[in-house]
Amino acid sequence: MLSADIIAQILWTSLATSSYAVLFALAFALVLKVNRVFNFAQAAMMTVSFYAAHATVALAGLPSWLGFLAALAGSLAIALLIEVLGFRTLRRRRAAQMFVFIFTLIISELVAYIAMLVFGTWPATIFPSLFWPVTLVGGIAVSAWDLPAVGAMLLAVAALFGFLRFARMGQFMVAVSDNPDLAELYGIAKERVFLFAMVISALLVALAMFLYGTRAQVQPTTSIELMLFAIAATIIGGIGNLWGAAITALLLGVVQNASVLFIPSEWQGFLLYVFLFLAIVFFPNGIRLPQRSRRLTRKTPTPTLDASPTSDPQKV
Amino acid sequence: MKLMSRSIHRRAALAGFSLLALGLAAGAAQAQETFKFGLAMPLSGGQALYGQDQVKAAEWGVAAINAAGGVNGKKLEMVVLDTRADPQVGIQSANRLISVDKTPAFISAWSAVVKAIAPVANDNKVVQLSVGANSAEIAKLGDYTYTTFPLADIDITAVANYSATTLGKKKAAVLYINNETGVVAAQIYRDVFTKAGGQVVAYEAYDPKASDWTGSLLKVRAANPDIIHIQGLVSDTPQVIAQMRQLGLQQPVSSYSAVYNPKLIEQLGKAAEGVIATSLAPGLESKPVADYVERWRKEVGREPNGLPYTQYLYDAPYIMAAVFKSLDDKKLPITGENFRKEMLAIKSFDLPLTGKLVINENHTVNKPVYLMQVKDGKWTQLAVVN
Repeated sequence: MLSADIIAQILWTSLATSSYAVLFALAFALVLKVNRVFNFAQAAMMTVSFYAAHATVALAGLPSWLGFLAALAGSLAIALLIEVLGFRTLRRRRAAQMFVFIFTLIISELVAYIAMLVFGTWPATIFPSLFWPVTLVGGIAVSAWDLPAVGAMLLAVAALFGFLRFARMGQFMVAVSDNPDLAELYGIAKERVFLFAMVISALLVALAMFLYGTRAQVQPTTSIELMLFAIAATIIGGIGNLWGAAITALLLGVVQNASVLFIPSEWQGFLLYVFLFLAIVFFPNGIRLPQRSRRLTRKTPTPTLDASPTSDPQKV
Repeated sequence: MKLMSRSIHRRAALAGFSLLALGLAAGAAQAQETFKFGLAMPLSGGQALYGQDQVKAAEWGVAAINAAGGVNGKKLEMVVLDTRADPQVGIQSANRLISVDKTPAFISAWSAVVKAIAPVANDNKVVQLSVGANSAEIAKLGDYTYTTFPLADIDITAVANYSATTLGKKKAAVLYINNETGVVAAQIYRDVFTKAGGQVVAYEAYDPKASDWTGSLLKVRAANPDIIHIQGLVSDTPQVIAQMRQLGLQQPVSSYSAVYNPKLIEQLGKAAEGVIATSLAPGLESKPVADYVERWRKEVGREPNGLPYTQYLYDAPYIMAAVFKSLDDKKLPITGENFRKEMLAIKSFDLPLTGKLVINENHTVNKPVYLMQVKDGKWTQLAVVN
């Protein structure tokens, strides 16, 4: 049963399908790190970007690159709306974190409901066909979707890494995520940084949703389910740790897929919750990290998290 | 001033009452001229997409009956109410049909709604005819809930038997979604296939939220079955089949009514060839059904959502009409109790779009199952299992 080609196949497919999961987790973790918001409204961005691409390619019959642009535009538009009309107003009112969280939940449900009214509940896709031709590479089935998806994911991750490391706005972002008030004292426009984090999150979401929608069917509530995976990866990977969330998303995919070979298949979905439970109970750092890091940064300039981004504020 | 206003109020109230009385009398007079039944369907909310098409089908059914002379010369009248596919709203609609519209019988659908309404129907002795809900529990909801739609196990039993006997498959793999729909049906398939002499060599569940099935499919591939039965939802089954073919599993695939739609072929292309699905109503090869679908294309500009369900809804008023006719012939009062007795006495109905229907005492129905297969990019009828 456990032959080398089965293991290799599981590893490859998990890597390929993790392309969108990694991007969803990064988008979620970034907004959590910089804006300090559990952005459940990411599901709304996902839904809008998918249906924008679906309407452009599947319904209007336009080329796929236009569909991708539509996904980007849709995701950006809703992200800007959420930030400018929602988060900014709530920050001005000094709304409690829980209140902001509930706001994001409502937005995601609202958009799902509107999508249901406009597009119905029937599952939809971006391209009419879900089937991608397959090439056998040393006994492993590699579909025509796999390589571009993994390539796009790697490019996006590299771009994000480069941006946070070398671009001025990226460094501002890291500074604000460490200590927004201190960053403001240094002359960084906090509000612009928050807006920018949402913009980057929207771009990641649009790319990931386009990848997902070219391979799988989507219903208005699919995004909310996909979000749970991103949230689990963020919590297990350690809140505030972008790359931790990305690597966890990748590993969780592999573990979930491979688990079928070792445990009864009914337990496969349960596994995610076991990991979440263990992470929350035994590694509470993962959840309390942002608060503690804030307290720590007041005393010492270098917080405990992530070595690479935290060393940046001094450079700024 | 005060006195005057009070007298005006009194006069207005009196006028109101007399108008109401007149209205009621008119209503009663009208009631004698028509045979009235109710239809409680989701006209708004997430399920409206299907509900509205089903109501349209039922309206066409009523119009056709009335155009052909009605029931003993009297018109058939249908009162349509919204349930939003929500049990609570469904109960309100049922109460209104029973106490305001005074219908002896009404049609409903969606398992959760049918279950919620059942006690109301039982208490008031009004017949609830479930048209579309397929949960096996529908048969156990008391004396006044009947179904015209075959319940869950019928098509799975047919496809399992057909695979083991007619197709001669010895080893089957079952891949099912880990929720109420999948678990129960997969058990039925396993039991029936084993009883028919076959062997289930792989029995794999998958998570309802899964978007990748590599692990389960590789396990199925290792078991080397002759046929693979997939018990999933319309949202995941095409993807499972696509991934299965990509992983090199070329075995025949069977599934059930959820995948019997033109979209499967569009989504899978050549990978859909040979897929077997079930349908609980005759397809386009039947002339009345072809005409009916053509009418949709002409009048609405598209095919109905959930075609087989709309066929059942089109036919439901014919059952109502047959029972009303029989009651009227025997000069029996039109009550829920009499309606139920008469419906069970008639028992067998010949319906225009779904063929012969037998309503059993035990609240189930006998209907043939149509096995459909994708051949040359089209759904074609493979067999009819009685």
